[in-house]
Amino acid sequence: MIHLVRTELARYRSRRVITLLLLLAALLAAVVAFQSAWETRPPSKAEIATAQAQAEVDAGRSDIQTDIDRCLADPGSYLGTGATAQECRNALSAAPTSYLTRSPLDLRGTLKGNGIGLALLIIVLLIIAASTFAGADWGSGSIRNQTLFEPRRSRLWAAKAIAVTLASGVAALVTLGGFWLTLYLVAASRGVDHSSAVVADVSWHLLRAVILAMAAGLGAFSLTMMFRRSVATLALLFVYSIGGEILISVLPFNDTGRWSLGNNVLGWLQTRLEYFDPHSPCSRLGTCAGPDHLGHGVTGLYLLVLVVLAGVSSWASFRRRDL
Amino acid sequence: MVDPLDSEKGRQEQMKALPQENPQRPGRPDLVVETRGLRKVYRDRGRKVSAVDGLDLAVERGGVHGFLGPNGAGKTTTIRMLLGLARPDEGEIHVLGGEYPAAIPSVLGRVGALFERGQFDPDLSGRKNLELLARGAGLPMSRVGEVLDQVEVRGVAKRRYRGYSLGMQRRLGLAAALLRSPELLILDEPSNGLDPAGIRDMRDTIPRLAAAGVTILLSSHILAEVQQLCSSVSIIGNGALLKAGRVDDLLGESTSRTRVGVAEPDRAAALLLEAGYSVSRDGTFLLVEGHEHPDAITRRLAENGLFVHELTAIRPTLETFFLELTGHRPAASEDPTERAFDETAEHLVVPAHRGEEVGA
Repeated sequence: MIHLVRTELARYRSRRVITLLLLLAALLAAVVAFQSAWETRPPSKAEIATAQAQAEVDAGRSDIQTDIDRCLADPGSYLGTGATAQECRNALSAAPTSYLTRSPLDLRGTLKGNGIGLALLIIVLLIIAASTFAGADWGSGSIRNQTLFEPRRSRLWAAKAIAVTLASGVAALVTLGGFWLTLYLVAASRGVDHSSAVVADVSWHLLRAVILAMAAGLGAFSLTMMFRRSVATLALLFVYSIGGEILISVLPFNDTGRWSLGNNVLGWLQTRLEYFDPHSPCSRLGTCAGPDHLGHGVTGLYLLVLVVLAGVSSWASFRRRDL
Repeated sequence: MVDPLDSEKGRQEQMKALPQENPQRPGRPDLVVETRGLRKVYRDRGRKVSAVDGLDLAVERGGVHGFLGPNGAGKTTTIRMLLGLARPDEGEIHVLGGEYPAAIPSVLGRVGALFERGQFDPDLSGRKNLELLARGAGLPMSRVGEVLDQVEVRGVAKRRYRGYSLGMQRRLGLAAALLRSPELLILDEPSNGLDPAGIRDMRDTIPRLAAAGVTILLSSHILAEVQQLCSSVSIIGNGALLKAGRVDDLLGESTSRTRVGVAEPDRAAALLLEAGYSVSRDGTFLLVEGHEHPDAITRRLAENGLFVHELTAIRPTLETFFLELTGHRPAASEDPTERAFDETAEHLVVPAHRGEEVGA
């Protein structure tokens, strides 16, 4: 079995389209890492001087000065009970940092923004790669030759499935891991927050993203082995992800948001996903205590069921159908 | 009521039920391929079509066995079932002594196959394609070099398969088929699309492999090729066996004719008629039928003082035999380029007697 898996890994590596997709994934990770680092770079001396000058000009404005004076006269009525004169100055006179155009690097913020976006993009590329991997065998007819050389179809399917799952995982780990390692090193060099709590959040996110990439690769491979065409797999995934969201939004049932593919994928990738379900009774009555929450257990189970369904159907189909 | 053929489960159950309905016998040890009552049904626009319908096939070990039939007769479907690529709906298959489907994994390691169409990844080089197959089968990489040399494609082995000519594609296919040193080689239309040199090479290679002990099952619609290369043949039509046996024996079943040139044709005709032969005139020549061998004619005439000055055996060809059996020639490809190649292929193997038959 090991030599079969190694053969399939070699086949995965040797496909030109897959190589291009993996290079694109690496390039995307590098570009997003560079963009995140560049857009959060520390301000230059000139930028600080400009910000200070702007702050001083604004501090001298009569309307702002009047507001400060009113607040200093009665901080409690201006800012709320217990407010102090210092809080009046802090709140109403803008600090020079407020005039800087860039925010410093924030790993937690990146985790919710660029990090999730990049993970989704890379997973989409790995889905296309996995689908191409299986689709090329069917398109060229080489699956027949492969079946002649390994007539035990379950073994052949399993070897390919293991190879594509491993390859997807390694590709996701290298690209996303490289992205986060770069940002961690940048954060450390700039002295911004890179505490163990942030690192733990990022590490768990990375682990979940790699697992999702492996599952997505396996799922796309399974569907393509069943449909025998990559385009059918990609069309189905497109219809399911877009059409499914539309269907869920128009269904007249409560709590449909938890069945949305998008919510479940985001719920798995994010540290904590909160969403509003427009169909829930409290939304209609305006009495919701807060947004709904999708935990990793629930989203993981949802995605696992999809992958298992695709995998079992594909395996059974490949085992029995004529080639 | 659910038709058992409507579902895969039904098919499985039907296959499992077979041994009770029709107890299976072990395969004959002298046969490399044996099928009994083989049946394969396809659905075409909701209609059931029998591609193979009760086929009994027997291929003896050694030599080249032709597998003939008109287009749509079920040759390719049969080959796919022999290679484990398609499941029969009914019947038994024994290959190299092993009974399908249980024996498929062990048997297919000793079988090589060359398909009509390329079965390789077009973006990989020829060598890489073979290396992946060899690695998957646990073969040493040195074997790839050996088969590339054997089919003489080492020179282009590093080029992408996409850029291969048809001849090179077919050679690479043969190299893949030979990778595991097969005991049985199944060739599906090996000459299709090849240029004259490629056809000659293929026809030189096939007897060489047979001489090396490989049993070859050759499916071809080029009857002259089959007659030239095959020692035995199975002819199928509408999914069932029409005729099988040694080529010489089958052609011997057709009435053989001899063209006789003799000084007194009328007296000679009377003598031969008296001896029980069927005689007709062909100008100044006689056409004699119903004899075992032409020497019987010369002996009879010489005993009566008539000496033959010309004697030509007009043997039936596989083509005429096939025509009599099926009512039509096996159709060539509809692709005009391939058809042109087919014609070239036939001209390359026109047997010496064929021209005489035409002229007769």
